[in-house]
Amino acid sequence: MTSTTTEVRKVAVLGANGVMGSGSGELFAAHGIPTFLLARDHEKAREGLDRAVALAKSEKLADVIRLGTYDRDLPGAVGEADLILESLAEDLTLKRRFFATVDRHRRPGSIVATVSSGLSIAAMAEGRSEDFRRNFLGIHLFNPPNVITGCEVVAHAETSPEVVEFVVRLLERHLGRKVVRTADLPAFAGNRVGFKVLNEVAQLAAEHGVAFVDMLVGPHTGRAMAPLVTTDLVGWDVHRAIVDNLYRHTADEAHDCFAFPPYMAKLMDSGHLGDKTPGKGGFYRRVRDGGKTEVYVLDPARGEYRAAHDSLVDAPDFVPRMKRFHRAGRYREAMAVLLEARGWEADLLRRVILGYVSYGLNRVGEVVKEARDVDRIMGFGFNWAPPSVLVDLMGVEKVVAALERAKLVVPSVLTTGRPDRWFREPNVDVGRFFVG
Amino acid sequence: MANQRVYVLGGAQTDFARNWSKEGKHISAMIREAAAGGLEATGIEAKEVQVGHVGNFAAELYSMQGHLGAFLVEVDPAFSGLPTARHEAACASGSIALLAASAEIEAGRYELAMVVGVEQMKTVDPKTGGDYLGTAAWYENEAKGIEFPFPKLFGKLGDEYDKRFGLKDEHLARISAINYGNAKRNPLAQTRNWYMTEDHAKATGKFNTVIGGRIKVSDCSQVTDGAASAFLASERFAAQYAERRGMKLERIPRILGWGHRTAPLEFAAKIQASEGQPYVLPHTRQAIVDAFRRAGLKDVWDVAGIETHDCFTTSEYMAIDHFGLTRPGESWKAIEEGVIDMGGKMPINPSGGLIGAGHPVGATGVRQVLDAWKQVSGRAGDFQVENARRFATLNIGGSGTTSCAFIVGC
Repeated sequence: MTSTTTEVRKVAVLGANGVMGSGSGELFAAHGIPTFLLARDHEKAREGLDRAVALAKSEKLADVIRLGTYDRDLPGAVGEADLILESLAEDLTLKRRFFATVDRHRRPGSIVATVSSGLSIAAMAEGRSEDFRRNFLGIHLFNPPNVITGCEVVAHAETSPEVVEFVVRLLERHLGRKVVRTADLPAFAGNRVGFKVLNEVAQLAAEHGVAFVDMLVGPHTGRAMAPLVTTDLVGWDVHRAIVDNLYRHTADEAHDCFAFPPYMAKLMDSGHLGDKTPGKGGFYRRVRDGGKTEVYVLDPARGEYRAAHDSLVDAPDFVPRMKRFHRAGRYREAMAVLLEARGWEADLLRRVILGYVSYGLNRVGEVVKEARDVDRIMGFGFNWAPPSVLVDLMGVEKVVAALERAKLVVPSVLTTGRPDRWFREPNVDVGRFFVG
Repeated sequence: MANQRVYVLGGAQTDFARNWSKEGKHISAMIREAAAGGLEATGIEAKEVQVGHVGNFAAELYSMQGHLGAFLVEVDPAFSGLPTARHEAACASGSIALLAASAEIEAGRYELAMVVGVEQMKTVDPKTGGDYLGTAAWYENEAKGIEFPFPKLFGKLGDEYDKRFGLKDEHLARISAINYGNAKRNPLAQTRNWYMTEDHAKATGKFNTVIGGRIKVSDCSQVTDGAASAFLASERFAAQYAERRGMKLERIPRILGWGHRTAPLEFAAKIQASEGQPYVLPHTRQAIVDAFRRAGLKDVWDVAGIETHDCFTTSEYMAIDHFGLTRPGESWKAIEEGVIDMGGKMPINPSGGLIGAGHPVGATGVRQVLDAWKQVSGRAGDFQVENARRFATLNIGGSGTTSCAFIVGC
């Protein structure tokens, strides 16, 4: 008879100095669960604590946090913990090495979770003890977890269903998460759908320019931030790891969208990683001159940066019209403008936005069970208008017709059901996804 | 002829965590979402609405926009020609709009009124916003040139309690922690994902600085963008509405009682006037007493809970004894005994109140009545007070200047 965790009284976080490690640690600690932050050395663990305290905006958070190092404290911390959360770099070999150590020191029945944003859960558990494997799963939180409530729970074939149920309940009832269960497939649901769009836009930038595509697919299309601004924030290395993984390990209708753009690869070789390398930049480079910040924009063809005011692009007239409608809270009218606009720019934007609806909803039955899952992870994880919200605003008949015109897959969920409303999530203002 | 009864048919609230300036939205979008959301939530058709009232404090300052009643007409083509008005009484603006609408229903002038409370506050930096809020006091005498005048005024309310009865800051910290804790169960509360503990609220430090006097950050309500709507109906309309929704008319909540009093604008004048009296803010006490008397209720224990105006922890501390949960000056007893906790004898602010749920100034009075309606209709979800039949609200404008109370129930 194996024991099962029924209460989480202690948490141990591995890789607690990183952004996700400290953020995840904060989440548990902020809900009063004693949390052990582990890192390579004490200094690193201390950095994790400082980050967690800054997220909570309270020094009191430290009252439930202990700090330690892998060498000295891992065996004890892991042995005591009911939940061990791994947040190391996205490197399968490294993770497996740590999991072997965890397996030796953990208490049978304790839960082991990874916050990996898309590596195979099954591959991480390979070679571990049976008790480890049945208590192992993915808890993919989004950054920063104290703000972004969307979260994916990913079981592999051997994860015990009771463990999954317990973890989902813990996350939803005690930690305020909006949980989506996804299959153990590359990048899970959120990043699979989200990075399809982000990489497609990065590809389009090669032809149309950075400023133009960010203007076209900007916040008025149902996101808090323009796509290339998002990729700079995420980091090009993280972006590349996700799309490379998807390009190698998936073969679906959007396969080409996952090809990492060669111009980005070239710039990465010389150290351009987005916001985390401010001196080099990414799609944008911000140069501080005294009190002023000058923004420079990448020219993908030349690999050079030009001052933003020299990179201004003219917005086709449907873009300001959409924004004006959003500003007045007329979201339906704004999306009608998108559907009816003429010209190649409108065709391009429809390809991206309808492509997102198509690709997202077509993952139902493969990565997730129902459309609601895709909606929740895109809405609560990415802060993007969920596909069903776009269907509601545009009208399902018009969406299906537009998908057919654009030669995009019509997801079967759109032709099998006819609800009054597609997006049924309670207590969500759909207006919050659209920026005027 | 007896006054007509006023029924509450529900409404809608926007997510108070939103930042509408970051979303690039005009205040008209907020009014639109609250009004359209209310129609959807209640199943009322736009053409059935006969009059519209908007409660708002200072859109002229925050958004350079007046004449807010007119924005109701933008919401639906059927609203073309709708009689509308905008009402202002600082933080009590929402309640004043409700009072105007209910007076018209009572008088038999209209059958169905829509009330929207709205405030967009994140258009300006906190200091400028604090200055705008100063116009809810006697600006020249109490606010001009003072950074964050209102925390200081409500700090003085605490000082006055301290002087007359004694006041421990740990009780204020507990009020803060309860409101933040309740907000975690309210899916529309601004602070639902924020960190707060009683220990944090007690401590002063980098993350909990003193704003003025004894008021720290954790004692303050929030700067909030938000709107709320409520639909008030005559008995005739409510009966039809009940029939088409397959409900009994007796199950539809009503405004059972209301109170509305105004004290001198300056805080010092109020305190001077209440010298030697049992209550620190006698006009606020009177508004509460009026509401219970009009509802035909004996005392506070005839309601299941209260949504009160905790613009600062000191104002909730004041509300506890002014509602009669304790004798004057003994609010701390109700706090220590857990009376005001969720699950206590008289839960205060199950929604999280102004501290936890947020305080979009002109929307607050409407939000309180909507939450009271949710409670007595059994629709408050995770913040439901069990078996709530009647709920009270208290909404205050200025430093205890305009006080409005409602009793909502069946």
